[in-house]
Amino acid sequence: MSDTIIEVKNLVTHYGDTQVLDDVSLRVARGEIFLIIGGSGCGKTTLLKHMCGLLTATSGQIRYQGKDLATLDEEQLAQMQRTIGIAFQSSGLFNSMTVGDNVALPLREYGNVDESLIDAIVRMKLSLVGLSAAQHLMPSELSGGMRKRAGLARAIALDPPLVYFDEPSAGLDPIMACGLDELILDLKKLLGITFVIVTHELDSIRKVADRILMLDLGRVIFCGTINEAEHSTIDRVRQFFDRRADEHITQRSV
Amino acid sequence: MSETRIECPRTLDHETGRTLLHAVRQQKVRKGQTLILDLAPTENMDTLGGAWLVEIAGHLRKRHAKLRLEGQHEGVAEFIGIIQPSLEPFPGAKTYQAGLLERIGGTAIAQAGELGEFLSLCVDAIYWTLMAPFEGRGFRWGNFVDEVHEMGVRAIRIVCLMNFLLGLIIAMLSSAQIASFGLSIYVADLLMIGFARELAAIMTATVVSARTGAAIAAEIATMKVQEEIDALRGMGLNVAQFLVAPKMLALIVVLPCLTMLGLFSGLAGGTLWGVTVLGFQPAVWINETTNAAQMNDLMQGMLKTLFFAVAIVLIGCHNGFRVSGGSRGVGLMTTRAVVMDIFMLICVDIVFAAIFYYVLQ
Repeated sequence: MSDTIIEVKNLVTHYGDTQVLDDVSLRVARGEIFLIIGGSGCGKTTLLKHMCGLLTATSGQIRYQGKDLATLDEEQLAQMQRTIGIAFQSSGLFNSMTVGDNVALPLREYGNVDESLIDAIVRMKLSLVGLSAAQHLMPSELSGGMRKRAGLARAIALDPPLVYFDEPSAGLDPIMACGLDELILDLKKLLGITFVIVTHELDSIRKVADRILMLDLGRVIFCGTINEAEHSTIDRVRQFFDRRADEHITQRSV
Repeated sequence: MSETRIECPRTLDHETGRTLLHAVRQQKVRKGQTLILDLAPTENMDTLGGAWLVEIAGHLRKRHAKLRLEGQHEGVAEFIGIIQPSLEPFPGAKTYQAGLLERIGGTAIAQAGELGEFLSLCVDAIYWTLMAPFEGRGFRWGNFVDEVHEMGVRAIRIVCLMNFLLGLIIAMLSSAQIASFGLSIYVADLLMIGFARELAAIMTATVVSARTGAAIAAEIATMKVQEEIDALRGMGLNVAQFLVAPKMLALIVVLPCLTMLGLFSGLAGGTLWGVTVLGFQPAVWINETTNAAQMNDLMQGMLKTLFFAVAIVLIGCHNGFRVSGGSRGVGLMTTRAVVMDIFMLICVDIVFAAIFYYVLQ
């Protein structure tokens, strides 16, 4: 499929002896917002890290723009990673730099743009995420939600075709979370960015999702649109969308 | 009020944006003028084109002129809508420069504040280490044993090696001087007195401060950054009791022991030189060394290790608690702790040297 930007085939992965992902397959189309959902500890973030080439799988294949990540050497992998924006769960901002310098870092390293324009780009990216006033602040002076948005501004600094976003709405107030959802929709519409988002915020899922993949205990139990998910007969999916608790809150072993 | 109109290109990107800025500059708009950018011909633009618009807005702001965007089509209008805030003035970096008196006052207040925090930590730590256990208020013996293992047992090899090498160096340097008088055997006396009074204590404390002092500062600073300290306080636990007291008692116990091992290692280094290079019989060298051993010298060395131990733990904890600013702050505070530790060791040492010279000679 020519419009596929990233594809995962039969991915199996372990942390030590513990199997985290079991035969996970998915395909993300260019320009869509693809959500990976599931309960805590089901392997969402691990899957995302595999898709950026940060972890090595036990078996299976990941193809980004038609290329198998396992066949890339270090330099090719680094080049590929430059075309993916990653916004981490805990923002991943460098504490020793201002927020503006954090956003400017990828531009200075790989942006190939005039130095005089970098400041304007940084301002624009920070405005996009509603942080115009924070350019000269240090990350430690920001709240958790602001750090998350600054992380997104850095992730989209190089206008990547694909952005991974780990838990965008977690820790944000509803107004800010809604604003972030709208921003994601705007960026998709105006810049054609493909988003792969890990989340378990129901409101966000309903608002932004084109397609949803649900993991449970490391396995794919559902993949489809939000409508299909809402009408799914799979009990775990129903439980997730109805916000229904297990009878006892127990640690389910992976 | 005059207006100037410039037509934008069909595609606004990196190259055409730069040309547009050039065209705007050539207009030499004056204060109060309005520059109208006609976006009607523009069918598409990318983020770099948007960045040039931000640059143009900044250029006009500097000239106290106004920017108006007109005629944009739907897609371009939406894009400009989301970058609109960056076309407005931004707050700049804080550039406030305090006056000399203000800086002196600020520094004095900060130093006094830090001193207060340090004294408060000292009182808390000493109470929870030395007094509270006797009042039945609890001491974390499990942690104490772990700390003894971490600070003491795991430091034995490096402490012994450093002291051994120092003994070798002192023997080497001093024998070169003393040999000309034919009194090489007195190198054994010099090593015994030097290591017992001073060298074993200071070398061991320096190794421990670089190893344990840094670890304490980094551990507590990381706990502070990750809100673990707040979590402890939130549970009503006393931080000094929970974190500081086991470390302090552990180091008070461990440092004299390590110093004693350091003393023997240093003497072993000297003996190696005396026997292999200076050619003395081992029994002769050891006999001379034991003859030079005085309880008084040994007590001078051992007594100050107790104060070194207290200083290393308190300085490590104090700097850990003062951290701010995430991972960078942890690094800075760890460095600060080690520098302060070594400076404080020398200060304590000089106080003891003065006491023994003037008072207890």
